[in-house]
Amino acid sequence: MFLVIIFSLSAFLAVAGALSVTFSKNLIHACVYLLFSLVGVAGLYLTLGAEFVAATQLVVYVGGVVVLLLFAIMLTGGTNLHHVTSRFGLESTPLMGNLRTYLMGVVTAVLLVVVLCNVLQGSMTGALVSENKFSSTVEQIGVKLLTDHILAFEISSVLLLGALVGAAIIARPHRSSESEN
Amino acid sequence: MNETIVSYLGETLGLNFNWLGTLVIFLIASLILASFLALIGGLGTYAERKISADIQMRYGPNRVGPYGILQFLADGVKMLLKEDCIPRESDKFIFKLAPILCFAGVLASLAVLPLSSGFILSDLNVGIFYLLGVTSVVGVGIFLGGYSSNSKWAMLGGMRGASQIISYEVPVTLTILSVVMIAGGLSLNTLVGGQGAYPNGWYLFHNPFSFIGFFIYFIGSLAETNRAPFDLPEAESELVSGYHTEFSGMRFAFFALSEYIEVFVLCAIAAALFLGGYNVPFRLGGDGLLGQLFQLVVFFAKSFLLYYVVIWVRWTLPRMRVDHLMVLCWKYLTPIALFNLVGTAIWMYCFNGRSMYMILKHFLMASGQ
Amino acid sequence: MGIIPYIVVSCVLFVCGIIVMIARKNIIGILLGIELVLNAAALNFVTFTKFNNLNLDGHIFALFIILVAAAEAAVGLAIVIRFFQVRESVHIDSATQLQS
Repeated sequence: MFLVIIFSLSAFLAVAGALSVTFSKNLIHACVYLLFSLVGVAGLYLTLGAEFVAATQLVVYVGGVVVLLLFAIMLTGGTNLHHVTSRFGLESTPLMGNLRTYLMGVVTAVLLVVVLCNVLQGSMTGALVSENKFSSTVEQIGVKLLTDHILAFEISSVLLLGALVGAAIIARPHRSSESEN
Repeated sequence: MNETIVSYLGETLGLNFNWLGTLVIFLIASLILASFLALIGGLGTYAERKISADIQMRYGPNRVGPYGILQFLADGVKMLLKEDCIPRESDKFIFKLAPILCFAGVLASLAVLPLSSGFILSDLNVGIFYLLGVTSVVGVGIFLGGYSSNSKWAMLGGMRGASQIISYEVPVTLTILSVVMIAGGLSLNTLVGGQGAYPNGWYLFHNPFSFIGFFIYFIGSLAETNRAPFDLPEAESELVSGYHTEFSGMRFAFFALSEYIEVFVLCAIAAALFLGGYNVPFRLGGDGLLGQLFQLVVFFAKSFLLYYVVIWVRWTLPRMRVDHLMVLCWKYLTPIALFNLVGTAIWMYCFNGRSMYMILKHFLMASGQ
Repeated sequence: MGIIPYIVVSCVLFVCGIIVMIARKNIIGILLGIELVLNAAALNFVTFTKFNNLNLDGHIFALFIILVAAAEAAVGLAIVIRFFQVRESVHIDSATQLQS
């Protein structure tokens, strides 16, 4: 019963956050709703017995990706404001989508849901889906990462190094090329 | 802790709880802990004013109660009664949300504080990792507070505060990782239980790398809470109080209280990770309730000692410029923390995880015979 | 608890992410949709490890999804910032240089 309460709260947070992200007009508000949605998904991981994945979600997504998104919004002046002069003297354009784009999005979403339901129907048969009572420990995940999935682990470290160096180089302010343009 | 309380009540009083009773007990326990730590946060403001007065050779607050101890209550009442100004052009939803995010992040981190071996509110399997994640929410709150105030000073303070927090998370996380490597688990009971009660059993003196790591963790946690020489985002002379310029009354009290409680939480984690946590010398009191009380006293004594050092550092050192701050983090602390991590790994492999004291003892015993 | 509620939640998150990716004109808004889609996929992986297998491959894969999403968000936002430095706009329709 406790599990049902936590599941309902987390699922409500995740779904409400996701719906608010789609239908909000302000980009900063959308980022904050995304934060709520990610916290809700972390709660769902907890109900599934995946404590390490939930903690990783909190550290990486909430503490990293959302802050990164907010900084990028600040650096690109991309907030949707109703008055002409924004806080930083930049023009604001309606960037959050209009009725036409949302209609196209919803039509695509309906098609997608139909396809997904047909696909998932095959894997939902009762014999395959049985609930197990286990929760993973950090030690098990650590052992698995370093024995079975060592290649992916090492490649992901190289990937992260590349992403770090690449992002730092790409986003560096280029004074000389701006004066040429 | 929930299980211990439920089993204790079940044995002594013979009551049997269904899920609702367990939930109510858990809520009451967390409410007591949150109130107690909010009290510590409030007393922290009083302690800061008294200790700073002592350092500056003047009296601190000494009128409101005996030795001025009720000053924080008077401050609280004042903040409750202030007018709640919201700037007209601000983003109202974010303006109201930012202090709540800060406070929620700090309160959520109270769930894994190892007060004693029985009094952890929730002994998560991934305790210290969860703590790292939740203290990042405070950074988001600071940034949103600075952004939503619609003022240049607040925006600058918010961006500097958030970038400072996310930068200093890197050496703090690496240092905590090296301690986790020594202990062998992420749960806080494992981390504290692996240490002894006397200084030779502490992780501070386990190997030279963790000794350096303690200072890196301490400096990093000073920067994470925007405290001490790193308080540029809330500096009064530079930024007119930075990201909480436009917040008044209870909203400002949320920011200030979350800062003081976060300082206490990080000092408590430093005491738990490096200074032996709640382990009592001579194992006084055994394992029953008396032992738990002794463990509580030891834990709070160590945390308050570190808290005193934090306040002492604030009133001793001048403020750092923001580019010096970033240089310190990325060019000095992060390489040292990485070197610590590798060094701890090599130490654990070469010496089978024994501390310096144990190696010395074996060496002396082996050479003595 | 059953598997159906988790599948429904993951489906809703995925569909919301797709709508965001199609409907928004701001590049950073589109990146928000990408994060939602990746979260839905990772939630699906963890759900199926609890309800089908006993080994932890789903958890490991969810960890890798989170990792790759963070790296991709970092690089994507760096590209957006550079794009803004050159074009002075983050509207997706102003990225037309490769159009014939």
